[in-house]
Amino acid sequence: MFLVATISLYINIAVSMYGVIAKPNLVKKFIALTIVQDSINLMVIMMGYKLWREVLIQPPILLNWNPTPEALREFVNKAVDPLPQALVLTAIVIGLAVNIFLVSAILHLYRHFNTVNMDEISKIKREMIVGETA
Amino acid sequence: MKVRNIFFVLLMIFVVLVISIPTLLGAFGTIPPEHLRSIAKQYLFLSYNPYNKSLWSASPEVVAAIVWDYRGLDTLYETMVFYTAIIGALMLYSEILGSKDVIGGKGLSFIVKRGTAIVLLAILAVGISTVLHGMITPGGGFQGGAIMAVAPIVALIVFSRTFLDKSKLTYAHFISIRSLALLGVILAPLIPLISNAFIFQNQAKSLPIFQSPIFFTYPSTIIDVPMGGLIAILNIFEGIAVFSAFALAFMILLYSEELSRKPLEGEDIGY
Amino acid sequence: MSTVISFIENLVFIIMGIIATTSIIFVVLAVQSKDLLKTIIFSAVQSTLYALLLFLLFAPDIVLVYVAVSVGLLPLLSILLVKKVGRYEG
Repeated sequence: MFLVATISLYINIAVSMYGVIAKPNLVKKFIALTIVQDSINLMVIMMGYKLWREVLIQPPILLNWNPTPEALREFVNKAVDPLPQALVLTAIVIGLAVNIFLVSAILHLYRHFNTVNMDEISKIKREMIVGETA
Repeated sequence: MKVRNIFFVLLMIFVVLVISIPTLLGAFGTIPPEHLRSIAKQYLFLSYNPYNKSLWSASPEVVAAIVWDYRGLDTLYETMVFYTAIIGALMLYSEILGSKDVIGGKGLSFIVKRGTAIVLLAILAVGISTVLHGMITPGGGFQGGAIMAVAPIVALIVFSRTFLDKSKLTYAHFISIRSLALLGVILAPLIPLISNAFIFQNQAKSLPIFQSPIFFTYPSTIIDVPMGGLIAILNIFEGIAVFSAFALAFMILLYSEELSRKPLEGEDIGY
Repeated sequence: MSTVISFIENLVFIIMGIIATTSIIFVVLAVQSKDLLKTIIFSAVQSTLYALLLFLLFAPDIVLVYVAVSVGLLPLLSILLVKKVGRYEG
């Protein structure tokens, strides 16, 4: 069943990537881009899981503030991998910064061309270039 | 049905096959993995180990220790990327940045205003608690900052913009708060350089290559709770910086259309 | 004792599989809809399902960031954009 979850995550990535490439509206491209970023971050965390083998696993947080050496060794055996979580935290913040900048760029484009459809914007630009160099 | 859409669908089926066939054949190892990697075991063993204090960081939460101590330079550069993106979004509208809006508003009804005033204090309390407990429980600087950032946006929509224009809180206050918080994030890890330590140093490491008479280290407990030295200080600065960044970005994006068209006035010549 | 633990483990994996399969439906509905407000709401529902999946994978730091950013701040930003730009595609 874990394999089913992994394969459905791959299908999510492919469908939202199709939404980024094939739809001509800029706002839909932006929303599909956020779905791609979230799915890839989730895939990284799924690779850091651990199979339960006769023990109950726990998140990587130590709860005992004066641990004995046996408690420390048991914590190492029971915890999930903490490295992908630290890297995904950085990746989410950087993705959010790029998204905020993209929204202000889309608003600026709309106020200039009065439309948000990529086909019509390239048509207007082609007419302007042909009109100027003639 | 255009030809290019059929071509894109075939491309996406190819992408799914290219990723999933190596996964089924064992490229990521067994799914789910059976043993942890050895580097993860080292981080889990060394992070809060009171018997071997040569490489420890005094915080029982391993993810916060990795983000702010063992890989602290990555977090410093990520903070700088966030800062640059917000400054870039502000520079597009630099002419209208501090001016009052031309359309007057009254806000929503009386019930909504009184209810929101109670809820906003609760949101700020939850956010500050998440920031301050970042080294013991899940939480930290960025998480608490993102929770606290909902409050000024909701206030801007429920009470209208004229109410906030009449108060004395302008955008210049937010920019100065943010710059001071970022200055704190950069200068606080540089202080241990005067004694025998590295940058982003949490506790003093007793390696024999340092010869300096001063011995300075951040404290490792607050009365009886493990503090993690530098981690608590950096969490507070990062929470303040993220909160003011989101407040600034939404204050710019929520101007009315009439005023936002003013920076575009001379652009009808080119493309 | 070990049969109880393996039973709980299989239950957790089955719940993970059901949630991941349900989120495919919402992504397909979001990409092919013509009304941009419905796209935003489907994307927010899919983000909630992802937050539940992250909780089952024992990652509590990421859940706090993800719920605050992807169910709170990003749909707000997108609704602001749709209000200024135009609601229907095409």
